[in-house]
Amino acid sequence: MIADLKELYRYRELLLNLVIRDLKVRYKNSVLGFFWSLLNPLIQVLVITIVFHYVLGLRARVRDYSAYVITALMPWTFFQMSLLDASQSVLMHFAILKKVYMPREVIPMSTVLANFVHFLLSLAVLFAYAVVRGIHFKPMILFLPVVVVLQLLLNMGLALFVSALNVYYEDVKYIVAVLTNVLFYLTPVLYPSGFIGDEYFTLYRLNPIAHLIIAYQKCFLAGARQLDPRPLDFGLFGVTAAMCIGIAAAGYAFYNSRKWEFAERL
Amino acid sequence: MSVAIEVKGLWKAFNVSHQGIGSIKGALVDLIRRGRRRQERIWGLQDVNLLVEAGESVAVIGRNGSGKSTLLGILSRVYKPTKGEVRVNGRVSSLLELGAGFHPDLTGIENIYLNGSILGLSRREITRKLNDIIEFSELGSFIDAPLKTYSLGMQMRLGFSVAVQTDPDVLLVDEVLAVGDEAFQQKCYRTIERFQKEGRTILFVSHDLEAVRRVAPRSVWLDSGRVVMDGPTAEVTEAYVERMRSLGEAKE
Repeated sequence: MIADLKELYRYRELLLNLVIRDLKVRYKNSVLGFFWSLLNPLIQVLVITIVFHYVLGLRARVRDYSAYVITALMPWTFFQMSLLDASQSVLMHFAILKKVYMPREVIPMSTVLANFVHFLLSLAVLFAYAVVRGIHFKPMILFLPVVVVLQLLLNMGLALFVSALNVYYEDVKYIVAVLTNVLFYLTPVLYPSGFIGDEYFTLYRLNPIAHLIIAYQKCFLAGARQLDPRPLDFGLFGVTAAMCIGIAAAGYAFYNSRKWEFAERL
Repeated sequence: MSVAIEVKGLWKAFNVSHQGIGSIKGALVDLIRRGRRRQERIWGLQDVNLLVEAGESVAVIGRNGSGKSTLLGILSRVYKPTKGEVRVNGRVSSLLELGAGFHPDLTGIENIYLNGSILGLSRREITRKLNDIIEFSELGSFIDAPLKTYSLGMQMRLGFSVAVQTDPDVLLVDEVLAVGDEAFQQKCYRTIERFQKEGRTILFVSHDLEAVRRVAPRSVWLDSGRVVMDGPTAEVTEAYVERMRSLGEAKE
């Protein structure tokens, strides 16, 4: 694994160039270009605010509801898109893999990192949104980088798993699509985590992406109305952190154990 | 003289599945019919030994499926050997795939950076060689246009320019000369000749015996993954032609 990491470091510029390619190509032929990366979350924010506050009329009863939805939706999109893009990534690059040597893991990794760049842009939108809404930041915001890094590790580990498995079973990309749809409802995006009763709350938070999204909300919205008064349990969050790191390491090891077979399978 | 390529007792097996890429359904069916595996093990290379000195040019000939491309794949580290030892000294560049990773929506320059880094060049190296690459590609002002506006020949010239500028000690060439027009082929030959003068090692795979005689003084003949003959090109190609002729007659 150390040797693999060293080789990956040697090819860091390739990783960077693949990320740049993904970003450039995505909006290459559009007039607004890269601005779409900002416009997408911006439009989402607008639509959610209008729907939840005015159409559903939640503004009067549950203040800041849309802030919760928006804060959860950004990392959720990063999670879902990373897995969906990664699951197809190895098959999409089979022509290169059959002909050129390089550390094979750069392919799923670059798709996750390209989505990460989009996520960072949507975080900027999130900050602007909080300022506009007059939500004050509390010291909890300093914990945000930890949460972001842990999610990057989680996404990376899962992306390596699904991209490798999809070489053997092309059903995997459909399974990923279905599972992320199910997982969406086990994650506090559309509803606040306060809806989950105490008896299930520990179990609920053993889902790393659910706990990470609760953490995002605690970081960003400490100054807003608390829709879930229970504070972040740092002990249990330690378990989530360990799971994210473990999944990243396991995903990397699994991918590497199989990566030299890909060229022969494709 | 130092050794450029050393292959000792190389074996390579492929597991061939009769259904292409698997599916969960296929795996379940396999599970039910346990004992009747639908995979077959095929030996792509069998006990291949090869020693190439630095600066030598060697051709590999043989029929389709004789193991030529598998050998190049192993030397360029795309495949792992099943058994045996492989050592390649120095920087390897392969003309197996011109323009790996080229994207139609990116410009020529952007594609040079992408393709160059796939071939193992750093950004700084590419920037240093950028002018040489562009000049060698003869693309002129097209270099700033998206790749999709290029003809196939222009794309190949660009891919070839990048591959050549990786400054390889060992160059692996696989049939690229067969495609492309006369001018492109002449360009390729001139480059190969220049590399030979500069003392670089060349491993040349081709069906075109005329090209083989022109490029390589030594040839290795592969058949069914085994080395049949290894020696001066004139003798090896003669024996090869003889065998092919007798096989042809046997069929009739």
